[in-house]
Amino acid sequence: MTSDAAGQATLAELTAGSSRVALVGLAKNTGKTVALAALLAELAEQDVCVGVTSVGRDGERHDVIDFRIDKPPVLLAAGSLVATTGPLLKDSGLDHEVLLRTGVRTPLGEVLLARLREAGAVEVAGPSAAADVRAVADAMLDRGAGQVLIDGAIDRRAASSPAVADGLVMSTGAVLSRDIDEVVDKTADAVALVRLAGLDSGRREGQEVRERRSAQPPGTSVVLDDELAAHPLPARFVLTAEPAAVAERLRSGPRPRWVSVSGALPETFLEGLIPFVRRARSPLKVLVSDPTRVFLTRHGAGFYETAGIELVVCRPIELLALTVNPVAPQSHEFDSARLRGMLAERIGGVPIFDVMHPSYANAPPAMAKRGAGHALPGEPHRA
Amino acid sequence: MREEVDLTAVRPYADHLGDGLVQMSFTLPVPYSLAARKAAMELAGAMGFEEPEVVHYEELTAGYTYFVMYVKCVQTVDFAALQGEGFDIEYMSEDEIERFAARSLGRKIVVVGASTGSDTHSVGIDAMLNLKGYHGHHGLEGYQAFETHNLGSQVPNSVLLSKAIEVNADVILVSQTVTQQNLHVHNLTELVEMVEAEGRRSGLILACGGPRVSNELAKELGYDAGFSKGTYPHHLATFIVRELAARESGDRVPAAG
Repeated sequence: MTSDAAGQATLAELTAGSSRVALVGLAKNTGKTVALAALLAELAEQDVCVGVTSVGRDGERHDVIDFRIDKPPVLLAAGSLVATTGPLLKDSGLDHEVLLRTGVRTPLGEVLLARLREAGAVEVAGPSAAADVRAVADAMLDRGAGQVLIDGAIDRRAASSPAVADGLVMSTGAVLSRDIDEVVDKTADAVALVRLAGLDSGRREGQEVRERRSAQPPGTSVVLDDELAAHPLPARFVLTAEPAAVAERLRSGPRPRWVSVSGALPETFLEGLIPFVRRARSPLKVLVSDPTRVFLTRHGAGFYETAGIELVVCRPIELLALTVNPVAPQSHEFDSARLRGMLAERIGGVPIFDVMHPSYANAPPAMAKRGAGHALPGEPHRA
Repeated sequence: MREEVDLTAVRPYADHLGDGLVQMSFTLPVPYSLAARKAAMELAGAMGFEEPEVVHYEELTAGYTYFVMYVKCVQTVDFAALQGEGFDIEYMSEDEIERFAARSLGRKIVVVGASTGSDTHSVGIDAMLNLKGYHGHHGLEGYQAFETHNLGSQVPNSVLLSKAIEVNADVILVSQTVTQQNLHVHNLTELVEMVEAEGRRSGLILACGGPRVSNELAKELGYDAGFSKGTYPHHLATFIVRELAARESGDRVPAAG
């Protein structure tokens, strides 16, 4: 799908099938909150009762690290549900009804669940921990929200786990690099990571692997050999083993076919697998719960696949849309159409758009000035 | 009797309430001269201050002049609007912390700390954890209530997390120098994400500290608390024992249902 064709659909249409939508940025200032604001405006137009929560903080006036960057407000319609802290709710000055004290404490106070009696701007700071986010999202659905939007923070991905959300809107932008090719590369890597293939339970091997995995005690990672017999790895081996120890471990037992990782998969472990896979000349599949368990900073998933290591997930993430912010605040910007075009060439099967660009089907007039959301007021960032 | 303060419009105080007097000092890259003095006065006016007065100025080195000024601030700030639950915490003394921990927890609280990633500074973590502490306040190592593991600096997140799991830690404390360029933010979020990936988030208190770390930043990063300049070990310890006690008493209502 090209970016022009994607311009025909709106975020609200693309996310309509997901009760809980996570919005995740690849870094700060990739336009995640702008995407949230656009989606909120569309849902308000359709009279959808939304629930909003944030794993960080949204709708704050200034960036938490660089005070010079102004941030867009989060405008909610009357009747919306919001999970935020008591002080922030009070600061909004909006008439509201507290539905639930969640007991979840954050550095900014306890999270309350409230229904707004009037429309307006609220600073949103909900629970941070994934399990709490899911509980709050479900509480909002129980209390009449038609859809719950979960905003991420900085580059945090945990809320996009299928254990929390049903679908993902990812935001990328010029802030990733001054070099447009690098922005495209990093974005393509991030998309490849969230779209890691799911374990094919329809096939016998997939089903057997799933059974072996679930038969392990909690927190146990195992190697499965050619016969799919399970050989447990020592506790915390995947977290801390140096490449030499990984190679030694794989050489010592029967030929490994799968490694089932119970928790986090750091890149050091994957790097440790490479020499073994090269020497053995047989591919190895590494299974994790979902893409948020994989921590890659040096290479993308494609690099490891080329090396003969295929990453597979038990539960895939549904990527619904990719939004692009061609402006890096206080720094540089790219041509929106060019960046979207280059991304579309590398990344297929997902609509790509810039919600601030006229090409977007529903570019809201109130947000037509990117300067209001991304840069110093009055600073001309766009021709 | 003390004069009542209007908390909706506070301004600096020197001789009497509301006089707005401010003392400030700065250096200008200009030679020590009468023109330099005039430049300082003009600058203070441009900053929005009234009644600027240079009370002291001297040559710092050739071509540089150092100033001390008294100026009057005419702006006010609404302090009443900034107060609210969650922002403030009353700190306990070391003795109070020991008694509170013994009474409400009755076991050692295990804290694992490190400076993570490429950060070579271990000063912050040492001040909080090591017996020596700083400014006469010894670190958590010196408390009966705490068992501490200081892993030092440049520790990968996966290694820090592994140690926390191994010793069944209650708290992970990380120290990071957060720069305007965001250099270390990724390191801080990665730790939170790894803790989530290991399914350990609900069982761990995550605290971060560093020169630019605020509660607001801690919230964005996904930590339970953030500590910055001016934090003493007993501040951190107060937060830990209170938070742990609240968690263990089950004061954490599941939201669903």
